[in-house]
Amino acid sequence: MKILIIEDEQGLRESIEEYFMEAGNICETASNYREAIAKVSLYNYDCILLDITLPGGNGIEILKYLKQNDHTDGILIISAKNSLDDRLEGLDLGADDYLVKPFHLSELRARVSAIIRRKTFNGSNLLIFNEITIDLLAKTVKAHNQSIKLTRKEYALLLYFIANKGKVVSKNAIAEHLWGDGIDLANNFDFIYSHIKNLRKKLMEAGSNDYIQAAYGMGYKFTDQ
Amino acid sequence: MKLLAKYNRVNLATTIVVMLITGIIYYQAISLILTKQLDKDLVVEENEISEYANVNHHLPQVFESNDQQITFTQAKPGSVTRQFINTVYRNKKEEHPGKRRHRHEEYEAGRGLITAVALGDKYYQILIVESKVETEDLIQIIFGITTGVILLLLVTLFITNRLLLNRLWQPFYNLLKELRLFNVADNKDVPLVRTNIDEFDELNQTIITMSTRVKNDYKELKTFTENASHELLTPIAVINSKLDTLIQTDSFSGQQSKLLNDLYSAVSKLTRLNQSLLLLVKIENRIVEGNQLINLRESLEEMVTQFEEIFQDKQLQVNCQLSDKELHASPYLADILLNNLLSNAIRHNCIGGQINIKLNNEYLVIQNTGEETALQNDQIFTRFHKSYSSEGSGLGLTISRQICENLHFTLNYSFQDIYHTFTVKFD
Repeated sequence: MKILIIEDEQGLRESIEEYFMEAGNICETASNYREAIAKVSLYNYDCILLDITLPGGNGIEILKYLKQNDHTDGILIISAKNSLDDRLEGLDLGADDYLVKPFHLSELRARVSAIIRRKTFNGSNLLIFNEITIDLLAKTVKAHNQSIKLTRKEYALLLYFIANKGKVVSKNAIAEHLWGDGIDLANNFDFIYSHIKNLRKKLMEAGSNDYIQAAYGMGYKFTDQ
Repeated sequence: MKLLAKYNRVNLATTIVVMLITGIIYYQAISLILTKQLDKDLVVEENEISEYANVNHHLPQVFESNDQQITFTQAKPGSVTRQFINTVYRNKKEEHPGKRRHRHEEYEAGRGLITAVALGDKYYQILIVESKVETEDLIQIIFGITTGVILLLLVTLFITNRLLLNRLWQPFYNLLKELRLFNVADNKDVPLVRTNIDEFDELNQTIITMSTRVKNDYKELKTFTENASHELLTPIAVINSKLDTLIQTDSFSGQQSKLLNDLYSAVSKLTRLNQSLLLLVKIENRIVEGNQLINLRESLEEMVTQFEEIFQDKQLQVNCQLSDKELHASPYLADILLNNLLSNAIRHNCIGGQINIKLNNEYLVIQNTGEETALQNDQIFTRFHKSYSSEGSGLGLTISRQICENLHFTLNYSFQDIYHTFTVKFD
């Protein structure tokens, strides 16, 4: 996939670029308004990560420019502004999603994957990872054509893992993805472990390989290597 | 004491004192004048007696007239000095003429003149006594009228003061009312109340200037909080993303991964704190919009499901008694309110504790077990007040109360039996 990262904060831009950089992905970056406009008018991207506050202009203007020129690029706004108005304005203008800073890179990756899936699969609702097939519309999972009954959280967890395949995903990020803001109430993340254990058990019972690896007590990695 | 009461008291006291002094002077003056008048009468009588004695060479017939008695006594020549005296007048008169007739004497104040007359070789002392009764009656009437006038004056003064002062002070009370309604977070200004009294106009002007300054300072402070929190977001985002990147590199020892986990939770706490601050500013500014019909029962049920793993983790027993309650509010705020209250009930609970949630048309009650002493009611709603064991931001209840205020609800805490109880009263 081809991604454009429009973000003025160098540290964040580089982290995002590094996280998305892998075989088959092309990442380009823009650090200011002018550069961003130049890039979006020259090329098409699968997904554009758009920061709102930029030197030299407003990200919303870039969004308007894209929509006026009928670009079909997926657009994910990443902004420090967490007000409903900003969010609604962005989505009304045609952004696909809105992510508030600070965020986990794995969360960003999951959101980008969701946008690209919606854009490119167009009609087909199947997400396939080796022997695992997920019907995104019916929200059903099969391994080797054998149905697997997953709970809502296990299903969300599987999608999250597949979007971040090959990456170490922190327990923190998983917990926030599944439980939202309430997660700081927990004494520890033990109950995440039980969800992961259940998911792994169900996948393996259906004949799938064991893709979930624990990563040094910090998180988990979903990988087929 | 009210200004009016104080003023009236002083006013009354001085009026009474002045009136009393005036009364005494008045009495003395009239009494002096009337005594002089009596003395004149006595002199006239004396003259008549001497003339009579000179012409007729014997003493006049002693007769008793009304209010006048004359007595002659022989005396040694030259032994009498002429003088006026205050004496007693014996009034012999008939009482109760219709019934028993009996004479009796009555003593009255009198004014007398001791003088002498020489008749041939005889020398007589003459004592002329006149009753002062009529004089005193007169003085009494005058005094009575004066007292009446004083009382009338006092009553009139009292009433006019009351009416007039109340009217005069009305602008002051209006200003006071405005001050009481003054809210630093409000957009409403103290209005200009036109009076035609310079002092009140000045007071009003001063209050307006002061309130404007206070509001500006407050606004600046809030803007500062907002900007500061905003500026913090970017570095936090960088730290977060760098941590996410860091854990992708190679393998870590147990100690390193523990350090990384600690970093993660600190950053996540920082994020939450920052977001809470931003949220609080936004709610206080009432710039959170959106108004929808919300079914609180559904929201609560959803939230309880969402927290299920956390309930299990702490082995909490949750009892829900929910009936339908619909209200118009921003769904975002309603969600935060419920989330904060429920989070507190979980956070401050003990392992194996209880949470009771009751919802009906009038109120929402969330109870939880936990520490067995009541919290300090006035402090828990202030910013950054935390119990020593709390892992929260210390802003949750402040935010909750502010949301309730925005929605015109009241949020209160009480400690019942073993339950810490938070009650949201609708309207």
